[in-house]
Formats: sequence, structure tokens, C-alpha cells
Amino acid sequence: MLPQFSYVRPETLKDTVKHLSAGGAAIHAGGTDLLGCLRDGIMDVDKVVSLSALHDLRGVKETADGGLIIGALTTITEVSENPMILKKYPCLAQGASEVASPQLRNQGTLGGNLCQKPRCWYYRGEFNCLRKGGDICYALGGEHQFHAIFGHDRICIITHPSDTAPPLAALAAKVRTMGPDGKRTLPVETFHVLPRKNPQVETVLKPGEVITYIELPRPAGNMRSSYRKVRARRSWDFALAGAAIALEMDGDRVIDGRVVLSGAAPVPWRAQSVENAIRGKTLDDATIKRAAQAVAEGADPLPENTYKLDLFKGVIEEELNAVR
Amino acid sequence: MAEDSNVYYTEGLPVPETPAPGDKPAFWKQTDVVGKRIPRVDAYERVSGTAVYPSDIKLPNMVYGAILRCPHPHAKVKKVDASRAKTMPGVRAVITGVSPKVKGLNWKYRNYTGPLFDSHCRFEGEVVAAVAADTRYQAWDAAHAIEVAYEVLPYVADYKEALSESAPKVHDGGNLAGMDEYERGDISRGFAEADAVLEETYETPCQIHTPMELHGCVANWDGDRLTIWESSQGVYAVQSNVAEVLGIPLSKVRVIGHYMGGGFGSKLKPGKYTVLASLLAKQAARPVKMILTREETYLCVGNRPANTMRLKAGVKSDGTLTAFEFECIGPSGAYPGGGTALVDWLVRDLYKCDNVRCRSKDVYINAGTARPFRAPGHPQGSWALEQMMDALAEKIGMNPVKLRLKNIPAISQGRSEPYTTTGLKACIERGAQQFGWKNALKRAKEQNQSASHIKRGVGMGACVWYVGGGGPPSTVIIKLFRDGSVNLNMGASDIGTGTKTVMALVTAEELGVKPEVIQIEHADTGTTQYATPSGGSKTVPTESPTVRNAAIDVKRQILEMAAEDLDVRTAELDYEGTEIVWRKDKSKRIRVTDVGRLKKRGVVVGVGYRGPNPRTKTVNPFGAQFCEVEVNTKTGEMRVLRFLGAHDSGRVLDRLTYDNQVFGGIVMGIGFGMTEFRQLDGKQTGKLCNRNWHDYKLPTALDVPVDMESLPIEIDDPEANNTGTKGLGEPVTIPTASAIANALYMATGIRFTNAPVSPMGMCRRLAARKEG
Repeated sequence: MLPQFSYVRPETLKDTVKHLSAGGAAIHAGGTDLLGCLRDGIMDVDKVVSLSALHDLRGVKETADGGLIIGALTTITEVSENPMILKKYPCLAQGASEVASPQLRNQGTLGGNLCQKPRCWYYRGEFNCLRKGGDICYALGGEHQFHAIFGHDRICIITHPSDTAPPLAALAAKVRTMGPDGKRTLPVETFHVLPRKNPQVETVLKPGEVITYIELPRPAGNMRSSYRKVRARRSWDFALAGAAIALEMDGDRVIDGRVVLSGAAPVPWRAQSVENAIRGKTLDDATIKRAAQAVAEGADPLPENTYKLDLFKGVIEEELNAVR
Repeated sequence: MAEDSNVYYTEGLPVPETPAPGDKPAFWKQTDVVGKRIPRVDAYERVSGTAVYPSDIKLPNMVYGAILRCPHPHAKVKKVDASRAKTMPGVRAVITGVSPKVKGLNWKYRNYTGPLFDSHCRFEGEVVAAVAADTRYQAWDAAHAIEVAYEVLPYVADYKEALSESAPKVHDGGNLAGMDEYERGDISRGFAEADAVLEETYETPCQIHTPMELHGCVANWDGDRLTIWESSQGVYAVQSNVAEVLGIPLSKVRVIGHYMGGGFGSKLKPGKYTVLASLLAKQAARPVKMILTREETYLCVGNRPANTMRLKAGVKSDGTLTAFEFECIGPSGAYPGGGTALVDWLVRDLYKCDNVRCRSKDVYINAGTARPFRAPGHPQGSWALEQMMDALAEKIGMNPVKLRLKNIPAISQGRSEPYTTTGLKACIERGAQQFGWKNALKRAKEQNQSASHIKRGVGMGACVWYVGGGGPPSTVIIKLFRDGSVNLNMGASDIGTGTKTVMALVTAEELGVKPEVIQIEHADTGTTQYATPSGGSKTVPTESPTVRNAAIDVKRQILEMAAEDLDVRTAELDYEGTEIVWRKDKSKRIRVTDVGRLKKRGVVVGVGYRGPNPRTKTVNPFGAQFCEVEVNTKTGEMRVLRFLGAHDSGRVLDRLTYDNQVFGGIVMGIGFGMTEFRQLDGKQTGKLCNRNWHDYKLPTALDVPVDMESLPIEIDDPEANNTGTKGLGEPVTIPTASAIANALYMATGIRFTNAPVSPMGMCRRLAARKEG
């Protein structure tokens, strides 16, 4: 059941920031995650601040240098169907199309997707876990087959639930924000927070700060990108393992590129070992095999999620084969 | 209305002969309405949203109920303080275990009776207090403002540990809820005769009922009369349970359940919530609506218990089965719920085998109590037996279809009596043929020899369902009004299976009236007749013969009346739908609506009763399912490409609702085999981890094949009952998961003895094989 809260719908970004700066305020963009969070009682909220009057924050525009600016309130469906995104940044369109279910994609927003709360069943359940201010991570000693194998430091082993953040990070996208201290622009890659830094927040957003736009740089002319997601069921589910790959190619040779994993870590996880294994190489069978093996480097799997090592190897192998 | 047309009848439709009083109706040789593809009579209401479900009920002055539940798997309530809750805004009534009104009120689980409010809470979700308030939110907030002091006790969550010395005791008498033993023949002789003996341990998960409509009701008192709108599979079962708990006459409890959104066994009976709503309504002197949250239903409305099964089987090289030895353990939950009920039935009954021994142990754990779940025990037993059959076939180098056909029993071995009909052989043979088994097998083998990491497999499983013949009691009334329109009055619920539709078709077949204009009154203990709840796949074989009898009673009465009008003998008249005709001179006829006494009385009331089942034979449905799957051996992803269900359930009443059942059963079986499992936090808190529709994964439209085919195997079964019908709703989900497991084996060479087979499990096994 939802807690009691007031609801405001400011008409300017300035008022929005003002409302959000008061304690106990939460942003309502698409609301698909917020309502569940409120129902599950995972945050204390007494004011819900709707962004729905901020019409400027919706839509996709081409920038002068050939990149894109996506408003934070652009729906996931719009992202997945936008012709410019489909053409220039296919991995982002694919990531968006893999989100949740059609209804949720129609309602959920790109900004909201980056700011999702984790889906860990302890965090969402009646467990006073570390992330909610308690003492322990229940998943660590409990049921963690869906949980992280990288970057958790055995502090909090959530996986980040977003399917759009890995492609955005792979594409070197940036997040623009507005807050009490003014505007900021941050790489998506550094937008999320690892447990060792702070296990109780997921993003670097400060109180009162809101995502306004997502900037995509102009893609290299010979960029190939793709997003692949494996899950326990084929719709309305989060990634067991996924990979966003964005490679600058010269024929079969990889000039440079990024590989960012979903379902792997508490943040979208850059698989630099894979990137190193393919940089400057021709994408032949041997390279792909080596790159797939490399994905497991630095992993710290737990008893119930060791399977993810092989799963990620499989995903990387399939994906590299798909883009070559 | 024009003289020569009657809007309620299909003109010229031949109707079956009316049997003389005392004679049984003849078996329908052919039908004109029954068996066709006819849309549901209430399809528009259901699809447009005008159908009123219990969840939709809104009465004047209605308030809302909420329940405070024990958050621990095992605890004792030491103190309950509701003083703050009572003063909160909108609160109308508060009930706790110490309320005077609940003293002496008991709740039953099978053979166990305990207090309605038991201070010894044996599972997470046990009721501790209840509140009624003006809004849902006020009720919820007030219930959770009740302060409870618990003594938290050690719990047992793992049923496999429940019988160990060190396991905490759920009940003072220990954790053994029950044992069952069965034996025929001599298994040691059977194993000695075998050319091959295999033994394997199988596990199936706890599957939780998740009907679309939540569990709940609206309760309202009018003086000393209680009316309950309950989302239920049987209004009379709710009536008798509530009357018994509250100690009031059956006549004072009216239960209404017209539309309901699914139950799958978990709504065969009311819940404590029904009684709490009634008590709160009395105290608040207002109607109380008590609809559980989804999270609550995951804790306390039932489940299909998990099972661990060891099966040892012997076979001769010619395919003759020589012995089965089956052992099973499973949890009832906190109270008796049938933790191993019927899990061994397929081993006892499905395939011919002279030497069989089955033993099962039902145990208590600190978790929600099991309730019947669509074909209780059977999908679990099938998971073991059908995989074993395939393994035996492989061992002796025989085609799995052929091995099953070799072992078709002539009689029900579990009961030592004949079936009225058995379609087992036909289901397997014709199913395999329609599925294209041989070609599919060849294609899969070719694919698997290629270098591709996408592997393919086909698999099958067969089944019998323990019951499915229905039986008495049932009473149905059909009213024929003077304008020729018809009202069908029956107590049975339509739990989404199409009961209303098929009963309208039976009425239409017998009376010649158009099915869509039959007004149906049903599932109301105040106005409709006694019926047992819809479970056990018995509604069609129980109610359809009764409906037919009621229709025949109408015809007999009309014929008698017409005989007076025409001045001939009743026995010489034929009922021909719109008209009654004198057999000796067909020009002597009278329209039904012109029959004098009908016009004068206004209505003819026909009453039908369900006659007995055959005394020396058992009535059971059979089936066989076939599927084709694809496995990505790099990622563990699986796709069920197609399914075929060949089912012998006697006569098909409506091909559309029949196919709905087959597809629905397959979908549910895919969930059981591939996506669903209850996850307890067994190692730390004993609490339930997955209590919403994201964490508890039901299959979605993308997890089930578009290519699903239903192949009815219709075998005339005049002995079963007067419509020749057998149940369908449960057999359709029995062999689904095991067919998938067999197909996965063919694709990967890995025996998946533990269900469900998820991509996680597939990855683990593929990795283990690589290392292995």
C-alpha cells in the first residue's frame, strides 16, 4: 500500500528543483518504478514532484555536431522507435526495446530508467538491508542467483537494473542535470555509484538534482553497436546478463570501443578486459574466443551465481560474432 | 412476436428424442450445437469490463478490511496492543485474538482444527489482527499500527530437513504430517526380471497459485443474515465453511460468486479473510470489503508443494515394465495440506506394471499451507515418471513413444477396476502422428549433429487424471417461460473455464433454443441449487448431465401439457424444438408457446439431478503432449517452439472453450517446468523472497509458443454419464513440464531432474558438463 504523500506538478525546472530540495521529496517522471518503491516502503517520501509539466524535457533532437540530445522525459518506447537512434545508435534502441513490457515502456522515461532503484528481493522486501540503512546485505549470505558478480566488494550485491545505461555508457553518452547548485554534465559511465563508495545511493545525483537531458556524441562513421540481454523469462524481466557493445571498426578490425555489461554489477559494468582483448584486433574466431574468456577477469562470483561467468562468456561471444 | 417465428429458437433444429418418464436419455449419436466452436455466452461482458467480479462490488456505506499478519515464519504472539489503531481516523472495527467475539471460533485444515486466531504463528502471513476502516489506506495503516510483541522461534524452511532430529518442531507432535504406503505385486521379483534397472532422484519446486483476481470478498449483514460476495470456485463450499466457523445456519449465509478471476484450487474454500470480513462487518455494522494484496496471497492462499521423488524402475529389453519403486517427500506447509497427495498416482496407474511400491512422507515446515493446485500431485509425479520412461527407452534402445504404447494398461491398476474408456493409446498414437513425431525427431537429430550451438529436441509425456468423472450431488433447474425463453439455474461457478457457455449449449441441444438467449443464474446459494465447488475437473461431467436431465424434465412436462391441447396420448408426441408434433399425423401439432397450461402458468420448471456414476468402473480422462524446443548452449536460453496436446476427455462440448483449456494448461505447465518457484530465505530468516509478479515469474506471452495445437481425442463414453463427458481442466497441465524436460534432454544430452529448468539452471548444467 502507498504511504501518504502530497503531489506537486511544477511548471518550471527552477520550481522543480526547489520542491525537490526539501527532504522527503521524490521525482515522478514515468512513475513505473516510483510507485513500486512507494508500495514496497523502501523510501520515506512525503512529497511526489511530477515532471509531467516540463514539456521541454521530452523529445529527441539532433545537435549541430551530429550528435543527439534526448530529453529525460522521452519515453522508453520513443527511444526504441526513434529513427535517428535506430540508425546511429542501434544498441540504445535495442536496449530500450528490451526494457520491461510494452506498457511499461510506453510510460517509463529514459531519465527514470537511469535512476531506477535496484530489484534485489531483499531490498524490495521486508528486510532491513544495508542499502536501506540496516546492517547487512541479506543477499550475500542468502539467495543471490540473480545478483552481481562484479564490483560488489561483498558489501551490497545488487545488480543495476537498467537496460539503457549500458548502451549509453558504451556510446560515451553524458547526463545533463539541474540542481540547487546549477547545471552539471557528467559521463553516464560515472553516473552510478559503487557500494564501496556508498551502498545507500545508486547515482551521483545530489538532493534536489534532476536529470534534464542525455547527450549522445556523434558516432564514428564506422561504429557498430549492439545490445543483447539474457533473462529468466522473455518479457517483463531484468537482465541475468547483458552486454552493450559499441565498436569503431576499420573493416574487420576493431579500432577502439566499449563493452558495458548489464546484470553484472551494482553499476553498468565496463568490461575493460574484453575491450583490451579486441582493441586493434581483427574480430576473428580466436580473438572472439579470447575476448569471451576475458570477460570473467576480476569477477567475484558467489555460490549461487557462478553460472553468470559462463553466461557472460556466451553473451560476449555471440555479440561479437553478431557485430563482426 | 410474429406467429411463425420465435426469436428464442433455432428454427428447424432437430432436438433429441425425449425419453419416457423413468427411462434414461439416449446417448447423443450426433449433436447440432454441442461440440461446435461457439463463443462464450458472457464473452462481451468479460471483455468489455461490464462483468462485475467480487473485486468490483461496491455497496452503500461499505468500508474496507485489512489484516495484520505475522512477519515471522515461526513466532508466538505475546501481546497485542490495538489501542492506538482504534483511535485512528476512519477506523470502524478492530479484531484481535483477544476480542470476545472470536473466542471459541475455530479454523480447519483437513483433519486439523485450531483457533481462528492462533497465538502460535507457524508461518509468515498468519493472521494476528484485522481492521475495518472507511478507506483501504486507513484500514491498512491502522492494522499496521497495532503493536504486537512476538517471541520469535526457530523455524524450519527446508522440507528435506524437517524430519531431522535438530529441526525445530512446527507442531508439538513433530513434523511428520502423514505417511502413505502402497504396494502391489513384488518389486524385488520385478527388478530381478528386468533387463535394465534405472534409479533417479527428481525434484520439483513449490508453485504458488497466482490467479488474476486476488483472493477476497465483500461481507454484509442484514439482521442475522450474512451475504458474501466471494471470488470462489464454489459458493456452497464457502457457505458451509463460514456457517460452520460462525456457528450459524446454512440458510443464513448467502454466498454469491457470479464472475471470478481464477482460482486453480486455491479458491475451493474460503480463507480466514472471509470469516474476518464477516466479523468486521458485524462489528462495524457496515458491509466490509476485504481483498488481499498480491503480496499476501503469495504467503497464505496455498501452493503446489515442492517434492523430492526417488524413482527406481525396471524394464525388459522388449519394453515390458517389470517394477516401479517410488519414494516421495513433500511439505504440507504449516498445517495439513496434502504435501505428497497424489504425487504417486501416475506411477500407480498410468503404465502397465505388475510390481509397484510407493511410499510418501508429508511433512510440516514453517511456510504457507499447501492447497490443491490444478491436478494436485500429478505434474510432480509426471516430472519423475515421464523422464524415467524416456531414460528406460534410451537404455533399451527403444523409441520413447513405442515404449509407452507397449505399456498401455487394460484397467485402472491403482483401483483394480476398468475405466469406462481409455484414450491413452489413441492420445499417444494420434498425437504423435499429428505432431509429426518421426520427422521432428529426425530434424532435431540433424540439427544437433551440425556445428551450431543452437540445439533442438522433441519430447513427450502422457497422463491420466486421478478423477475427472464428476458425480452426484447436483441439482439444476431449467425454467421455460411462456414466451419460449429459457432460464438455466445452477449453483456451479464458472471459474473461467466456460461453464456457463457449455451448460447453455447442452440446454440448447436438448431444447432447440438458441444458446445466446439462455439466461443463466448461477453461483448463488440464495437463488441457485446446491453444487460442489469446481475442482477435480468435475464441473462438466457433474453438471452437464444434470442440465440435460433438467431440460428433459421440461420437455416431458410440456409434452404432457400438449397432449391435453391436442387430445392425444403423451407417448405419441415428439418434442421438435419450437413445436410438439403428433407422431401419427404430423399435421397435428402445436407450438410450444401455444401450449395452454404453459400460457396459463407462465412457466414450466424442470428439475434435473445428477445420477450415480458407474458402479464397477472408473471414469478418467487421458492425454499426451508433445513439444519441440530449442536451446542456446552458449547462454542457456531456451525456446519452446511448439506444443501439441492430444486429450481424451470424452465428448467435446464447445471446441473453443476446450482449446482454451488445453492452451491454458500448457502455459501453466511451462511455468511449472521453466519459470516458477517459491524462494524462501531459508538460510537467514525463513521469509518469502518472491512475493510479486516480477520476482515470482509467471510465463509471459513471449515464453509460450504461438504454435500450440489442441487435438481432441473423442471417444464415445455412454457409460460415464448422459453427456459422455470427462474432465479436461487438470490433465492438460500434467505432462507439459515433463515433455519439455524430455525435449531438453534430446537437445543437450543433460537430464534435468530438478524443475524448473531456467536459463540459470541450464547454464550451470552446461558449465558442469564442460568441466566434467
